Amino acid sequence: MPSLRLTVLNSLFRGVAITLAALLIPACSPRQKLKREFPPLPKDVDIITKPPGRYGGIYINVDPGGGPNTFNYLVAEDATSMGAIGTVLEGLVRRNSLTEEIIPGLAKSWEVSPDNKTYTFHLREGVKWSDGAPFSADDVVFTFACIYDERFPNRHASDYSIDGKPFKVEKMDNLTVRFITPDIYAPFLEMVGGGPILPKHALQKFADNGTLMKAWNIGTHPREIVSTGMFRIASFKPGERLVYEPNPHYWRADNTGQRLPYLDLYITKFVRDQNASLAAFATGQSDSEGITPDNVEWVRRGEKAHNYTVHERGPSTVCNFLWFNQNPEKDKSGKPFVEPYKLKWFQDVRFRQAVSHGINREGIIKGVLFGRGTPLWGPETPANTKWFNPDLQKYPYSPEKARELLKLAGFRWNEAGELFDSAENRVSFTLNTNQENPIRQHMATVFKENMKDLGIEVKLQLLDFGTFVKKIGESYDYECGMLGLTGGGDPVGGMSVYLSSGRMHEWYPNQKKPATAWEARIDELMMKQLKTLNLAERKKYWFEVQRIMSEQLPFIYLITPNSYEGVKNRWENVEIPKSGGITWNLDEYYLK
Amino acid sequence: MKTYILRRLLLMIPMLLGVSLLVFVLVYISPGNYLDALKAQRDIPAEFIAKKERELGLDRPWYVQYVSWLGRTVRGDFGESWSYRIPVAELLAQRAPATLALSLTSLVFAWAIAVPLGVFAAVYRNSIFDKLSALSAYAALSIPEFFLALLAVIFASQWGVFPTGGLSSIDHDYLSPVGQLWDYVHHLILPTIVLGIGGAAGLMRVMRTNMLDVIQSEYVMTARAKGVPENVIMFRHVLRNAINPLVTSLGFAFSGLLSGAVLVENVMNYPGLGQLIFQAFMRKDRDVVMAAVIIGSSMLIIGNLIADILLAWVDPRIRYDK
Amino acid sequence: MTSDLLHQILRRRAGAFCLVVLILFYVAAFFAPLLAPYATSDQDLTKTYHPPTGVVWQEGRLAVRLYKLVDPTCAKYEAEPGQFAPIHFWVKAPTYHFLGFIPVSHRLFGVEAPARLYLLGSDETGRDVFSRLLYGSRVSLTIGLIGILITTVIGLTVGGLAGYFGGVFDSVAMRGTELIMAIPGLYLIIALRAALAKYFDDSDQIFILIVVILSFIGWAGTARVIRGLTLSLRNRPFIYAAEALGQGPVTILWKHLFPNLFSYLIVTSMLSIPGYILGEAALSFLGIGIQEPSTSWGLMLSQVQDLKVFMLNFWWLLTPGLAIFITVILFNVLGDVVRDIVDPKLKTQV
Repeated sequence: MPSLRLTVLNSLFRGVAITLAALLIPACSPRQKLKREFPPLPKDVDIITKPPGRYGGIYINVDPGGGPNTFNYLVAEDATSMGAIGTVLEGLVRRNSLTEEIIPGLAKSWEVSPDNKTYTFHLREGVKWSDGAPFSADDVVFTFACIYDERFPNRHASDYSIDGKPFKVEKMDNLTVRFITPDIYAPFLEMVGGGPILPKHALQKFADNGTLMKAWNIGTHPREIVSTGMFRIASFKPGERLVYEPNPHYWRADNTGQRLPYLDLYITKFVRDQNASLAAFATGQSDSEGITPDNVEWVRRGEKAHNYTVHERGPSTVCNFLWFNQNPEKDKSGKPFVEPYKLKWFQDVRFRQAVSHGINREGIIKGVLFGRGTPLWGPETPANTKWFNPDLQKYPYSPEKARELLKLAGFRWNEAGELFDSAENRVSFTLNTNQENPIRQHMATVFKENMKDLGIEVKLQLLDFGTFVKKIGESYDYECGMLGLTGGGDPVGGMSVYLSSGRMHEWYPNQKKPATAWEARIDELMMKQLKTLNLAERKKYWFEVQRIMSEQLPFIYLITPNSYEGVKNRWENVEIPKSGGITWNLDEYYLK
Repeated sequence: MKTYILRRLLLMIPMLLGVSLLVFVLVYISPGNYLDALKAQRDIPAEFIAKKERELGLDRPWYVQYVSWLGRTVRGDFGESWSYRIPVAELLAQRAPATLALSLTSLVFAWAIAVPLGVFAAVYRNSIFDKLSALSAYAALSIPEFFLALLAVIFASQWGVFPTGGLSSIDHDYLSPVGQLWDYVHHLILPTIVLGIGGAAGLMRVMRTNMLDVIQSEYVMTARAKGVPENVIMFRHVLRNAINPLVTSLGFAFSGLLSGAVLVENVMNYPGLGQLIFQAFMRKDRDVVMAAVIIGSSMLIIGNLIADILLAWVDPRIRYDK
Repeated sequence: MTSDLLHQILRRRAGAFCLVVLILFYVAAFFAPLLAPYATSDQDLTKTYHPPTGVVWQEGRLAVRLYKLVDPTCAKYEAEPGQFAPIHFWVKAPTYHFLGFIPVSHRLFGVEAPARLYLLGSDETGRDVFSRLLYGSRVSLTIGLIGILITTVIGLTVGGLAGYFGGVFDSVAMRGTELIMAIPGLYLIIALRAALAKYFDDSDQIFILIVVILSFIGWAGTARVIRGLTLSLRNRPFIYAAEALGQGPVTILWKHLFPNLFSYLIVTSMLSIPGYILGEAALSFLGIGIQEPSTSWGLMLSQVQDLKVFMLNFWWLLTPGLAIFITVILFNVLGDVVRDIVDPKLKTQV
């Protein structure tokens, strides 16, 4: 913590610099540049229910992801780029992160036809892009035309189709758009309605000459990146920072007619690692910061000095799990992917359950995470309040139970306490995981020690990410893997994981026919939940999938670290959701 | 001399071909490719990955990929970054000035420290100062660069006088030109020290040895005997002759101008080329990696050439013409 | 020659000091399984980030203080007054095969479980830092020795033959070295590491991979210098004499040339060992060096690149950094001393 003397020194240092600068050249005042325009509000303006705030303030956020790679929605593949695009481009509907409800966005309302396959959106009248061009149904049609265009391969096209058949997007009139889906598609509103709408007037020329994928890159002038969101881009310095300023044509206002956002500027600084962003927050240089469990304590010590609060958000959405390779097939040379005698263990649910009972999850949480984590028993973490099934089969740490189960499954121990199967094979396997994630590494070393207590020998093999992905996704030559996936959201995101034909059905991917009865049941449930719009029914199906996963344990779930967010106390209207970014309602933030 | 330089420059061509082939093959045989990150995301369909693979040309045999890469590169086109979707040349040009600035300031820093210290250490040989400076030189050479960088970051975050990384502050755009310049300088100080300190220690030791050599040489003795004033001897004769051999090290310094700060940039969050290139290696953004290697190698080869030329320049006994 | 050199080193204070301390380090590394109270993987999840246990004289024998975890949210431990666990010497421990074949079932010292002896504290899974430092030194201290062994052998062979024969072999070899030296070192290391990792699965083999990579970068320089020295010796009368006597090139290289290169080799070896130690540390720091469950100083240091270590004052986790620092200094000083003895004319190299 900087002592008084150092603070004085620091201010002297700055003072000299500023005086020098001020003396030599008349400085252009920052105020001038921050002048805001206030064009008239659109007819269908969205009036917020919260009491009005006042203008002003700069919100600074430090992003350890290193900054966006692109501002092009069709190109973006990483979270940071998507985040920047989401700040600038609004979708037809929005999601209230706090209540997890779908709320109106660029569309003020919508209807669903009785057969649940046609959606009609009514756009807000009078909404303009940040450059003043009117927003209309043409933009919506254009957006989907680009996504489906063969010339612009992008990851969204398949999200927006069912069995390869795209949705039909029709302009009814200037402010009405109709989507027709080939079949019932449960997550339509969230997946499709929430997707950003691209500006036809700005991007048409790139689409026409086929260079759309190169448009809106990190070298594009900020003014060309037009916005319907709360902010537009004021300046961007790759590797350094992205400065947003209010979108003068934003379509939300408070009840006194003040257009949102209240902020003068929103700045994201980019750094390369967590340390730097954490240091910035803990020394009062940024307004909010996600804090990992092991750092909470010391960051809290600065709460008074730098006037921030560390909020606990509960379990995070990161789901860590390990699994055994149950792939019974053979490689090209006819060698089985997994030794047949080992495959026999891995396919035995009692073996998997014993392993799960043998893992000291509480120990990892207490020791490594300073008590700030939550054990996991199924595919959803409790952070996903809407879809989390709390009623699952649990496997608390109990070497005794584990031994019982192993005995039942025909395993036995020699005098030295080493475990053997009924055919006298020593129980030993190699655990693979990627080397980039420290907490996962700790889990792996703890797992190894825990298994040693059961007489099982685990060899650790930490691989670089590329090698690991290849092993589990292409060559299948491994025995046991450990991975963390950021989950949350709609169960539809897990189709490739839970369907037995799925690419990420890690324990035995791309099956022609479900290998077991319970996998067949999961397939059936996953298809069912996709084909109904009834939330209660979808929940029922998805809860059963979670239940089956927890009983059969193809994935042995480990722990999730809790998540913490530090926020400066000076902001009003901070609403921290259970999961997702905390700046989802940044347009409502104002200085206390 | 001219023909010598020309010959050396021509030799660069086969060398760069070999370098590019070697690195290309290494990148090719390392498991996985740029699409790994996509493959690990659960909501990406397999068809999309296959499509991307075709689009990036990753489904073709390596020699076809190499030849097409080579064909483009000799025409002066470094290709396109897969993750940023902009031309590699543009991407590198965005970051190069920052790295160049850091390399140059640390070079200046190293010389500014090393020469006077080396001189003093030699002049006051075996004094306390000499011993202290020798000890600090050992220490500077023995501390891992990344660890020093880490300590610097912690120091900056604790003390608050220096920024914890970056190239400029948030209000940079609203500062006066002088303020902006100062802002850059302020951000450069710590990385410069961290990057320069090792070089300073090395240079200082060489400087000291050179000085001692010259001081004990016959012509200095003669000058002393003739009664030339001591400070004239020191500055006109000794210092100049002692610095000369150091000048050749400038050639090597040139080699590392763009590629020498990778570790420091990564640890200290300095947004230069090193950060970008390390990231490109990790993501297997092939064309960025290849461009970085080609540029790095060219500078290395040219740097060595410069060193040889400087050597001939400071030492008339060396001739390269055969 | 060697004994003479040793004698001269020992006559100089700095040289003697460095040599003795280094030998102590190596001895400790060699006997690590005996000296370390715990195995590298022995965890205790109830005692993570444990501070160094205080050692006191209690009832006529050495004992360690016992600690209580008073605040698990920040791993704050406090010594419990009046609570001690005596330190036993030559204690029974799980059998370990020393050097792979000598079964050892004792360790030099330890305390009775469940108490634990943390001379240098514990890490994030409650492993003993002191034990890990000892085992880690095996990697960090040998990586330089094996590295220079490989580079010297390759450098001598390639450089010696190139210098002796000249001609096509010479130009091929020299173009090869130029090629390697023309790629910025770190880039080549990263590329090699990524390309070769799949052939070195096991975490123990990663050690070999790292040595191989660092040597691959290093041999080119050695080979070029050896070639130059060989060239200059090539035309000396004693070589002609040997040739006239009908000795083959290998014999001549081995018997006549190499002894003349000895002094050069010993100096460069000494001075290049730190490069390997620092190189391993840098690779581990970048996450592409030694991997768990193996241990090395670089790996241990890379695991503390975290603000909490400084903010919560887990200073004992920085000891691997200190160990690297001290070892490298010792090698540097020793290298300088040896150079002064062997060849006072050799300039200090940058």
